[in-house]
Amino acid sequence: MRLFWEITRRSFRRFMTYRAAALAGLVTNVFFGLLRVSVLLALYDGRPEVAGYTVPGIITYTALTQAVIAYLSLFGWFDLMQSVYTGEIAADLLKPMRLFTFWLAQDTGRAAVNILLRGVTIMIIYGLLFDLTYPQTAVQTLAVILTIILSWLLSFTWRFLINLPAFWTPNARGIVRLGYVLAWFFSGFLMPLRFLPDWVQRVAYLTPFPHMLNSVVDVYVGVLSGTELLRVLLIQAAWVLALALMGQLVLKTAVRRLVILGG
Amino acid sequence: MIQVHNLHKHFKVTRHHQGRLAGVRNLLTREYRLVKAVDNVSFTIQTGELVGYLGPNGAGKSTTIKMLTGLLVPTGGDLVVNGRIPHQSRQQYVANIGVVFGQRTTLWWDLPVIESLELLQHVYRVPADRFRQNLSEFTDLLDLKPFLHTPVRSLSLGQRMRADLCAALLHDPALLFLDEPTIGLDVVAKERIRQFIQHVNRERGTTIILTTHDLQDVEKLCERVMIIDHGRLLFDGQLNDLRERFDGRRELLVDMAEAYEDVSVEGAQVVARDGWQVTYQFSRSSVTASELISRISQRYRIRDLAVREPDIEATIRRIYEERLLET
Repeated sequence: MRLFWEITRRSFRRFMTYRAAALAGLVTNVFFGLLRVSVLLALYDGRPEVAGYTVPGIITYTALTQAVIAYLSLFGWFDLMQSVYTGEIAADLLKPMRLFTFWLAQDTGRAAVNILLRGVTIMIIYGLLFDLTYPQTAVQTLAVILTIILSWLLSFTWRFLINLPAFWTPNARGIVRLGYVLAWFFSGFLMPLRFLPDWVQRVAYLTPFPHMLNSVVDVYVGVLSGTELLRVLLIQAAWVLALALMGQLVLKTAVRRLVILGG
Repeated sequence: MIQVHNLHKHFKVTRHHQGRLAGVRNLLTREYRLVKAVDNVSFTIQTGELVGYLGPNGAGKSTTIKMLTGLLVPTGGDLVVNGRIPHQSRQQYVANIGVVFGQRTTLWWDLPVIESLELLQHVYRVPADRFRQNLSEFTDLLDLKPFLHTPVRSLSLGQRMRADLCAALLHDPALLFLDEPTIGLDVVAKERIRQFIQHVNRERGTTIILTTHDLQDVEKLCERVMIIDHGRLLFDGQLNDLRERFDGRRELLVDMAEAYEDVSVEGAQVVARDGWQVTYQFSRSSVTASELISRISQRYRIRDLAVREPDIEATIRRIYEERLLET
């Protein structure tokens, strides 16, 4: 536990030093968010509500999804793959620590920096520009915090898992990319899943992706409540566990393969 | 400390088809070639030894080290280090060894040196007072102070090596693997690192295995050397024995005063001719230098001459090139 904290702390500080990059990312996120808002509003064409989303609701959806891009690393994270290709993984394997925990601790620092520098800032900017909806009750606020943490854990376990093919093939970038494209679409990043045909939604909910993003929005804007809310949180947690276990298993095979075949 | 018995490591390397439709055939069928990176190697290393592990590129040095550190599983043979089998129970095993790769750092690239070292304290669960003690000792010996707060990526190669050496020893490992620790360093930096290695071995009793291409490292540090080539252990013994067995050949450089068709002389071989300069090679046991000189001067007119003593480098080069140790 102490080690976890020490790694997280250093990772936090490390990402804090990339302030210029964070600022550039922030500007991009805000700008593209505005673009998405205008496209979605054109879709509303004066109607007050589409598929359960009010106009403030859809603006909130956009603000929120833009705010968590960096936090969830939605556009890709290839660090683990890189460390396999550069051979840095060998140095990590020579230390008495678990690889999964090591990477999770690093990502905790990274996520914390991004939710603070980019997440919160983007919400504030959109809050000043538009009329957003906010969590209404203490229970809902708590649920929002929980779902945001779970969504990051889910994104991490997914990212970890899809980086592992690097142990098998000398160019896993394509596979990893495919993993992120799937995540964009089925997570409801391109548009809220409720806007899509029923069967697409049903397919989406067979995957973990909606729980990375769409559920967060649902909880935040208050579409879900009571047992439904609890159910979503539990499903999120279940997916986190499932993907984490899968990651561990594949990693174990990967390391065995590495040590048998050589790096 | 280390017992290695009939150790093997074979790799399967894909052989690509050549000629027509090679690409298609590569997709459909694969042929493998077996590479014996380590082939039936056995040795024992006692606690407190400092052993030099030599061999040309691709000889099997790194593969052996990777098996000893648990990064590779042997294809065959037995391997017990420190009472454990390295590739089993990785975490427990690596807790008691230190590894330094000259080619790459084990420190965290973006962090200041001190941050990396403190993180290692937690990785290895080093008690705080022991950590402070070691850190201050190594800081003095390796002169780390000027760059303790510099990120690893901004260090010079020599500084990085010193930081890496410190990092590998903070948890008092019983066994230290050094893979080309002086590669690419200048003479002063090399010397400093050699002194440090010697200190760690003598004062702390740490068992050290050193692979290197720099034979001065070996001459200054190791009493015992092992030489590997083509995956096979060719020599394992005292450096002095190696010298005596293969050092016989000395060279005599002679500048002739005029051109001779035939410059041969009894007891020595002509190994090179460059204009009027002739290089003879002779062995200590068959003829002395003064005897040879007098023989040559009786037959030819000499302008100048010099005797060249072989160094360990030339000896080892000969062993590699002429495969003197192969049976």
